[in-house]
Amino acid sequence: MARNRYQVPTKKNQSFTLNITSMTDMFTILLVFLLQSFSAGEVTLEPVGGVRLPSSNTEKNPINGVKLSISPTELKYEETVVARIQNNQVEASAIDSSDSNFIKPLFDQLEAFNKKDPTLAKTGKVLLQADESLPYSTIRKIMYTASMAGFPNVKLVTTVSN
Amino acid sequence: MRRRFKLNINHNSEFELDLAPLLAVMVKLVPVLLVSSAFVQMMIIETELPQVVQEAIKQQDNNVKSAHITLEVNKVDGVKIIVENNGEEKVEVIANKDKKIDLASLHAKLIQLKQANPQVFKIDLSPDADVAYKDLVAIMDEARKSKSNDIKFKFTDTKTGLESQTDYMFPEIVFSNVMDG
Repeated sequence: MARNRYQVPTKKNQSFTLNITSMTDMFTILLVFLLQSFSAGEVTLEPVGGVRLPSSNTEKNPINGVKLSISPTELKYEETVVARIQNNQVEASAIDSSDSNFIKPLFDQLEAFNKKDPTLAKTGKVLLQADESLPYSTIRKIMYTASMAGFPNVKLVTTVSN
Repeated sequence: MRRRFKLNINHNSEFELDLAPLLAVMVKLVPVLLVSSAFVQMMIIETELPQVVQEAIKQQDNNVKSAHITLEVNKVDGVKIIVENNGEEKVEVIANKDKKIDLASLHAKLIQLKQANPQVFKIDLSPDADVAYKDLVAIMDEARKSKSNDIKFKFTDTKTGLESQTDYMFPEIVFSNVMDG
């Protein structure tokens, strides 16, 4: 003979109040943390993939300027790849034959920017995100070319050190 | 005479605060902040190339008494500090320690130099081609500011003629060999 199954008595129309105090506590902590880390600078810089920035104790917030980045594999103007990097040096095809420090494709991009946004170009500011492992000779080529294109104010982007 | 109406207040009553609207605001704010927050905080180091500081260089050139400090960085030997003052040249080398730049000794030497030349705020940096970028940033950090809060440098404000104090040592760092062939 089959046993009678026990059925839990339930009230179909019962209402209940959700206790959200603990959730509000959690959100308050999260909100404070996010507000603290919120960057209030005039310009926010996007970290470029593959670039390990050096850390520094400088306290200057980023300003507006032409964004250049150089990783161990490529040199970028904004989002455009202008030259490849091989063995921590700019590839030979991108270097001008008569001037070993002159990166022709980068100069062309900066020249085009001069015409596109003359107001910003007039400030001559370049924000350079360079990988910490690169040698000075490579950084120097970018500074030299930028300077030749009318961008002599090079700002080196770093991360905040502890 | 009318009887006064007395409000019956129960001081021991409990009530529950409605946190739902507050939570609703937070639920909207948190994603906005999560999206717009920069978790990697980035800063910039100002550098100036010889072209833009031509005027400053001219002023320093005209002022014969002003000292001219150059840091030559070599991967093997370390940092060579060259101080040109009144036609005299003094050279001091901060040798590498464990094949790395001795930043502590360099900082101590730069403090001495700043104390001897309080009106000088600009130094030239002339690294060799193979010096790593992170080493240059570290050197610039050492030169920019005194790390000790107790060490301040007195200098005379050229506009007001008053004496001021600062913890900045050499905030203007010029890559002097950028335009060299």
